[in-house]
Amino acid sequence: MKTKQSKWLAMPFTVWGIVFILIPLFMIFYYGLIDSEKHFTLANITAIAEPEHLKALGLSILLSLIATIICLVLAYPLAMILSRLGINQNSFIVLIFILPMWMNFLLRTLAWQTLLEKTGVINSILHFLHLPSLNIINTPYAIVLGMVYNFLPFMVLPIYNSLIKLDADVINAARDLGANGIQTFTKVIFPLTIPGVISGITMVFIPALTTFVISNLLGGSKILLIGNVIEQEFTQASNWNLGSGLSLVMMIFIIINMAASAVFDKDGEGGMM
Amino acid sequence: MKRFIERFYVAIIFIFLYAPIVTLIVLSFNSSRTRAKWGGFTTHWYSELFKNDAIMQALYNTIFIAIVSSVIATLIGTITCIALNNMKARPKNLLLGMNNIPMLNADIVTGISLMLLFISFGFRFGMQTILLAHITFNIPYVILNVMPKFKQLNPNTYEAALDLGASPVYAFFKVIFPDILPGILSGFLMAFTMSLDDFIITHFTKGAGVDTLSTKIYTEVRKGIKPEMYALSTIIFVTVFVLLLIVNISPAKEKQSRKHVSFVRRYSKQFAAAAVALILIIGSVFLFQGKGNQQVIVYNWGEYLDPEVLTMFEEETGIEVVYDEYETNETMYPKVASKAADYDVVCPSDYMIQKMIENGLLAELNYDNIPNVKNIDPDYINQSKDFDPENKYSVPYCVGTVGILYNKTMVDEPVDSWDILWNDKYKDNILMQDSVRDAFMVALKKLGYSMNSSDPKELEEAKQALIDQKPLTQAYVVDQVRDKMIGNEAAIGVIYSGEAIYTKRENPDLEYVIPKEGTNVWIDSWCILKDAPNKENAEKFINFLCRPDIALMNFEYITYSTPNTEARKLIEDDDIRNSTIAFPDLTQYNNLETFQYLGDKTDRIYNNLWKEVKSK
Repeated sequence: MKTKQSKWLAMPFTVWGIVFILIPLFMIFYYGLIDSEKHFTLANITAIAEPEHLKALGLSILLSLIATIICLVLAYPLAMILSRLGINQNSFIVLIFILPMWMNFLLRTLAWQTLLEKTGVINSILHFLHLPSLNIINTPYAIVLGMVYNFLPFMVLPIYNSLIKLDADVINAARDLGANGIQTFTKVIFPLTIPGVISGITMVFIPALTTFVISNLLGGSKILLIGNVIEQEFTQASNWNLGSGLSLVMMIFIIINMAASAVFDKDGEGGMM
Repeated sequence: MKRFIERFYVAIIFIFLYAPIVTLIVLSFNSSRTRAKWGGFTTHWYSELFKNDAIMQALYNTIFIAIVSSVIATLIGTITCIALNNMKARPKNLLLGMNNIPMLNADIVTGISLMLLFISFGFRFGMQTILLAHITFNIPYVILNVMPKFKQLNPNTYEAALDLGASPVYAFFKVIFPDILPGILSGFLMAFTMSLDDFIITHFTKGAGVDTLSTKIYTEVRKGIKPEMYALSTIIFVTVFVLLLIVNISPAKEKQSRKHVSFVRRYSKQFAAAAVALILIIGSVFLFQGKGNQQVIVYNWGEYLDPEVLTMFEEETGIEVVYDEYETNETMYPKVASKAADYDVVCPSDYMIQKMIENGLLAELNYDNIPNVKNIDPDYINQSKDFDPENKYSVPYCVGTVGILYNKTMVDEPVDSWDILWNDKYKDNILMQDSVRDAFMVALKKLGYSMNSSDPKELEEAKQALIDQKPLTQAYVVDQVRDKMIGNEAAIGVIYSGEAIYTKRENPDLEYVIPKEGTNVWIDSWCILKDAPNKENAEKFINFLCRPDIALMNFEYITYSTPNTEARKLIEDDDIRNSTIAFPDLTQYNNLETFQYLGDKTDRIYNNLWKEVKSK
């Protein structure tokens, strides 16, 4: 495969990427750096310092961090259990996690409304069992729940993949050399699955940070996240410049995340599959 | 014991993942139209589903887009991986970095950036723009799935094949391709699923008359999801689930180790042939759908017209209707203003009509071609002068008021004032409107000001009132007031009069009042765009909608009041015909106003104040 000719095969993607990835990104920069009279300005970027925006951004970071941590804590043991089930069920397990995505994302999130409402399914069951009711709809808790629900598969799959790729001999060697279960995990298994973990964190944190649908549907629109602010600037306030400027600020987090994956996952091994 | 805990843990996670799915499946058998109430078991929605052309068309679009975009993305992605495999580190990392951008960028940023691109370079919005967008975000999934397979390859086998006289292409398909095939297939599957599930990016890149299931559902969220949608989702889910079971069980006899690969390899030609055939069939249907000579392109609110009416219009006039929907005035405006799609007729609300007139987007109507306008109540024509001073541009379609809907069993005092929305007693039981102008209307009216105020001091006071109210509200909602009030989730809600009739029918404990401080009389009217390519057809369309029998059909379908007096006389149900909710006598109330466009600057002030309220 080390032939020079095969390089031209990268051409379609290079062209496609420039036209549909880089130029659109440039458009965001362009809109973010001008005002409505098309004069250059930094005001749309510095607008992030306004208290409402800062608070929305802070809350977004907080909630998506919590959701990411919960996803990680839930997903890692799950991936370990699943990885021991044997390799022949590989594709089936992956599909079981992708399957819910075939029910529309909006419908799935709306279904949580039906489950969580004051008179919803869960509370009816709790009431029937004479247990105290669960009042988390329209609070940040419901938003975190929605994030965990929607993005958990994106955490499970990469971790599961790094786990099944682990060489059993490495683990056996650790055991032979006298490491106990915990030591084997902390010294051998976990470090070897870090690319998967990083990939999972990225796949959960970024969409959670930027969501606006989940906070609208499960937060009763009472909680303003940075995604909601940007969405509203585009769809309600018709202020594309401010919306683009704030999107640029959000990209900083994405760049930080990319840099982090580059450090921890040099070979790009933490894949979804 | 350990095994038990493990099983238990997996079971809990699966319950968590599948509980909403089960809920949706159960809702698909619910005979009540609202998700808030169980009305008994029915399979009615399943038979309704196949009669619903709009949903079937959306399903077809969704599948078409998912197949075409994921096939193209798989092709591009796979050949890119071949190239990447031979590249030096630097260019390779650059390309991989670019590949990561759509993966990592927020969907909303990707969607908006593509929309800006399409608008700036004059693309016509439609199926093709959605396809381009989907291919763009699908390629990364393919590359990320195929790349690892290349890493696992043994390079010597390919060299060996070449040494044995195979041509590079032959060697690739015989040696490398089978090994990377699982990666390609999982990449394809991932891309297909992502395309199917995408809402945000499609939302920003779609054009006139093209809906996918996601965008269709989103327009329905405003007015309550149709149960047919639950039925369709259930069918899709069950189909995929059964397919999965078959694929995973059938090859069990074969050797375990490379079962998956060998199964696919054995049938790969058939798979490929079937896929190509499918694409060709769908593609040709798509291409030869052919547009008639006569058409009219309508841009309307979601769920704001009886689909039967469109069929009747097409049959009677031979003019084909291309129909597209939007969720808010504000999402409609940029699409119309940027002329990204050639719409003929739109149905904006009062203040938006004024904005469009001021920005020269609307054409003057020729009333000679719309004789049926005589059926429209003169009161509303008069009220329209608030935003269309000479009645030159708009024909009222739906009208109504905004008021308070309350539950008689939960509220024991008389309700006649906006003040009740500030009453501590109903903490956590109040639903407020989640749109800037409506929310400020309530606060301004309560304080005794005009709802078209642009006085900074009055607005500041209104903002403070809304901040004071926030701890008492259960949620800010647009559409879900209806379902939540029917389901006894809240005691008091701010609601459009059109929803009041329907909610009262579903839950007799509900009562609607227009507060004494006055309220908003809103009017949604049909307008024709200045650049409309089919102006005459558009006038025919508006005239058709003003016909009493047609206006009646629409009224019965959407339950929003019609200003068409002749249509009102045709209503059979006395209660509705004489309902003061549906047809209030405007002269009876004080301080009724209609929203006006206050200019970009004031709009921005409103938006900023609203943001302050929301972030408190």
